[in-house]
Amino acid sequence: MTNQNAVTAGKRKSSLEKLGGQKFIVLLVIVGLAIFFSVMSPAFRKYTTLVSILDYSYYIVLMSIGVTFPLITGGVDLSIGTGLICYSLVGGYLISFHGFPVWAGMLVTVLFGVAIGLLNGTLVAVMDIPPFLVTLCTCMITRGLGSIIVGGFGITWPTAAQPGGWFRSIFKINIAPRVMLPIGIIWVLILVAVMAYVLNHTQVGRYIIGIGSNKEAARLSGVNVKIYHISAYVISGLFAGLAAIAYSAIFTTVQPGTGAGFELEAIGGAIIGGVSASGGSGTVTGSLLGVFVICLLKTGLPFIGLQANWQQIITGLVLIGAVLIDVIKKRREVH
Amino acid sequence: MGDVILTMKGIDKSFPGVHALDHVDLEVRRGEVHALMGENGAGKSTLMKVLTGIYTKDSGTITFEGKEVEFHNTREAQDAGIVIVHQELNMLGHLTVAQNIFFGREFKKGFGIDDKKMNEEAAKLFQKLNIDIDPTDTMSDLTVGKQQMCEIAKAISHEAKVIVFDEPSAALTETEIEELFKIIRDLRAQGLGIIYISHRMDEIKVITDRVTVMRDGTYVGTLITEECTKNDIINMMVGRVIYEDPKTHSMVPEGAPVVLKVEHLNAGKMVQDVSFELHKGEILGFSGLMGAGRTETARAIFGADPKESGKIYINGREVTINTPEDAVKYGIGYLSEDRKRYGVVVQKSVAENTTMATLKKFVNGIFINKKKEEQVAQDYVKSLDTKTPGIDQLVVNLSGGNQQKVVIAKWLTRDCDILIFDEPTRGIDVGAKNEIYKLMNKLAAEGKAIIMISSEMTEILRMSDRIVIMCEGKITGEIGIEEATQENIMNLATREIS
Amino acid sequence: MENLKKNPLVKKIGLNRILLVGVLIVMYVAFAVISPTFLSYSRIMSALNYVYFLGFLSLGVTFVIATGGIDFSIGPVMFCCALIAGYSLTSYGVPMALALVISILVGCCFGIFNGYLVAYWSVPPFIVSMASMNIAKGLASVFTKTQSVSWPQLSAEGGWYRYLVKVGNIPVGLFIFIGVAIICAIILNKTMIGRYILCLGSNKEAVRLSGVNVKRWEMTAYAICGVLVGIAAIFFVSAYTTVQPGYGDQYNNEAIAGCVMGGTSMAGGLASISGTVIGVFIIALLQEGILALGMNKNYQLIITGIIVIAAVYFDVLGRRRKN
Repeated sequence: MTNQNAVTAGKRKSSLEKLGGQKFIVLLVIVGLAIFFSVMSPAFRKYTTLVSILDYSYYIVLMSIGVTFPLITGGVDLSIGTGLICYSLVGGYLISFHGFPVWAGMLVTVLFGVAIGLLNGTLVAVMDIPPFLVTLCTCMITRGLGSIIVGGFGITWPTAAQPGGWFRSIFKINIAPRVMLPIGIIWVLILVAVMAYVLNHTQVGRYIIGIGSNKEAARLSGVNVKIYHISAYVISGLFAGLAAIAYSAIFTTVQPGTGAGFELEAIGGAIIGGVSASGGSGTVTGSLLGVFVICLLKTGLPFIGLQANWQQIITGLVLIGAVLIDVIKKRREVH
Repeated sequence: MGDVILTMKGIDKSFPGVHALDHVDLEVRRGEVHALMGENGAGKSTLMKVLTGIYTKDSGTITFEGKEVEFHNTREAQDAGIVIVHQELNMLGHLTVAQNIFFGREFKKGFGIDDKKMNEEAAKLFQKLNIDIDPTDTMSDLTVGKQQMCEIAKAISHEAKVIVFDEPSAALTETEIEELFKIIRDLRAQGLGIIYISHRMDEIKVITDRVTVMRDGTYVGTLITEECTKNDIINMMVGRVIYEDPKTHSMVPEGAPVVLKVEHLNAGKMVQDVSFELHKGEILGFSGLMGAGRTETARAIFGADPKESGKIYINGREVTINTPEDAVKYGIGYLSEDRKRYGVVVQKSVAENTTMATLKKFVNGIFINKKKEEQVAQDYVKSLDTKTPGIDQLVVNLSGGNQQKVVIAKWLTRDCDILIFDEPTRGIDVGAKNEIYKLMNKLAAEGKAIIMISSEMTEILRMSDRIVIMCEGKITGEIGIEEATQENIMNLATREIS
Repeated sequence: MENLKKNPLVKKIGLNRILLVGVLIVMYVAFAVISPTFLSYSRIMSALNYVYFLGFLSLGVTFVIATGGIDFSIGPVMFCCALIAGYSLTSYGVPMALALVISILVGCCFGIFNGYLVAYWSVPPFIVSMASMNIAKGLASVFTKTQSVSWPQLSAEGGWYRYLVKVGNIPVGLFIFIGVAIICAIILNKTMIGRYILCLGSNKEAVRLSGVNVKRWEMTAYAICGVLVGIAAIFFVSAYTTVQPGYGDQYNNEAIAGCVMGGTSMAGGLASISGTVIGVFIIALLQEGILALGMNKNYQLIITGIIVIAAVYFDVLGRRRKN
């Protein structure tokens, strides 16, 4: 009996390793990058740098949490980047030009995201249109829509000093003159925990994994796959909406026509964090870690004298690298 | 055997152009294992799909536990207590065993899923079935046999009253089949009704109580297994004498040169140390049960799948074949068992498919010489007697037999000396079958060397000059046609390998 | 309708294409009626300028979609080509002819890079597209130090390249575009390259098992796309001269829209160059029409998005009916 227990324990460990392996490597990469930048540049070691890395990470992390779900179904959501800007524009517009209270503006921002998510999900799940095409289109549509609704001008959300500026302290509070406490990270971590629970321990998450793993089998088990397929995109839209709020709170001013490329950082983060590009597996915490790799690169590269644009190139290469690892691993499994 | 639990009466189902089920009857009792037999395309699967709500019947009645029922989807059938263990596994590879078993009806705890309870329940289930599987293992890590056991456990966990096994043993090893039978006997003892679909005559004799035979979508009859012989069943299935002119002696001339020699070929679990020779003008039959590794051997020789080790000689010269491109270069053609997926490009025309492997012969510079292409395609349509309205016709519109002829034309255009026919007549009707046979004999007489993989004993005995038998990835025997009988082939195909 | 379908002439040209031309004409007339300035010469020229670069993009992506893949890095890659070639021209004094070659080479490199990853490493096309979109943007920005680049005017030295678009009042670009489209149609329908691309788009495994090196042909499709993107960049600068780093995304969608509208199936295996050409004209007309009606570019984004979804949905419906 003890022997058998030992065997099962051994087996458990190996499957645990399999789950945690990539995350562990990513964590090492994060630590490695942090040490590298700290050694190379004294300025990088400052507290304010840490705060700014966090500031710039919130919206990408939030998008990444959301987009993990469509990715796990084997799809993708490319509309989250321009979508984020669109939702933020509309929310800010209602606050500054139509006297909406800030909370109502925020609510509209999030609901708009949910609505676009619902649209994406319906087109993908019910009408069978390839996900990247649907979301490429809604990416364009949201970009146009945002501009049209606000009239083509940049929108400014209330600053900290203005009435309604309270919402900014969701992400950052002053505890002493010029010392900011980045409490946004707490909310982000809580959301990560919640969504990790949703993914691994609720029916929504279970069925989303099922769709990515073998949609037909999931359907034959009597699961209403369409609803859960749609819900993956709704989650993605919801988190794009939340990301819009984070973005508004950190950057204050939002310009129409921007946002293209944000989705890449979020999706790239998720894939670096171990979400399989062909669907079926992935973790929310992995996505979080993956995004931090990208954010560190983005913030760190200028400190060692490289333009921020290098980050784009490196992100692209890292993304392909991450997928290649996945591909090679699978090839080896087949043999 | 107890009272009747399920009756299907006068079930009729048509698809456009096909009368799939023509007033079929079936009756299952409690505590009975009821075999459903018939050749490929006899309508067994369709009948089971009607039963489990995947298809709706056109007419007829289904009576279950004394009440007339009609299921609209598998869920309704499941809830009523009729479940099916599919031939192809419906598993979610990324999830654990327990998560698979309870997929779609998870135990809940608050908002969440109670995985702990699911693991416990699954463990109990396995204990009851006497299967050793850890419910927390990831599904894709298990062997096919274990995955099958999980499917069965899943079926039983539905509190099923009738379980349909659709060729459950196809992918199992001997020991796994023993385990499966033990489970089935247990279930029978508990008073469940079991429908068992299989092609393996021996299994039918061992495990079933009654046999219902279907042929071409019609009900032929029901026998009590103990009281009938294999031949009774076979005669009902085919409705004709099975041994249509079997070959009695090899047609290969004495001393015909060896064109293909395979030595110690290894490729995964399904191809272990395979060695054989193929002579000019010979039809070498590859016999064995499904999953014996014959297709895998063919694919490895052809370079479609990677090999681990082994040597291949063509006309005495050692060659390296890593891709199908290499194989075609050396004059090997492969006709897959799954024509629509691996044989033809169905959305392209007969002519385009004919020249697929030899397009280089039909180009001037980079331009395709369509006239020449059409000429050759037309010639093959004529010489193979392919029934098509024209060479521009998309292959999707042709029947199975004619699609097969297009594939043959493809390889003849290449002038391949070695042809591998993998289940050449699967899904092809009787008339067209004979034509394919004639064609193969003609090719062999012309000096082509043919490897024919077939699961149909008739086909093997009728066509082969020599027979190689595989079992579980290994060659277990080689018999000349003179000594070959159904029994000694079957013996080798099911031999226990220690 | 059934009778119409059986008409031999209709059968030869294809009902879809006739309908598309119909749409094109109806749109043209409608815009002309609503906005009188629409018929003006300058409007037509402006629409044509749009047709050129978009047309080349669309032709390129047709080859990729024919294999069953997708490439939505084409817009940013086009900008990357124009920026790198243009910066070489203005800052390193490269002669004009060489700059044009550089543009095509850069496009070709991206095409081969994408194709290599998709064909030889089975990386999903959408991931490859995303990555090379980013790389293209980053590379262009790094190379030009995030400055916009202005190609020379007609009067300046090396300005002859602008004759590619128009000489006097003659729209030379139109002839070149149609010429290239004809070459593409020949490649797709009359050569081995096209045959293999279409067949592998329809059933890759069957083609592989016929002994064809499918990986090479799949990569070729992406490489052809890359070359056409490089050409598109030349026509973009010939028409508009100035390029800014960091943009180009929106053209992906319009190029794919033109292609899909023209009857190329997203599932692969079915492609029509003439359809793509008509589709591109419709998109360009739409763009001019929207501007002529006094609406801004943003409406076009939305309308194109909806058109693509609708076109693909019809494709999906058609396939469903067949099964």
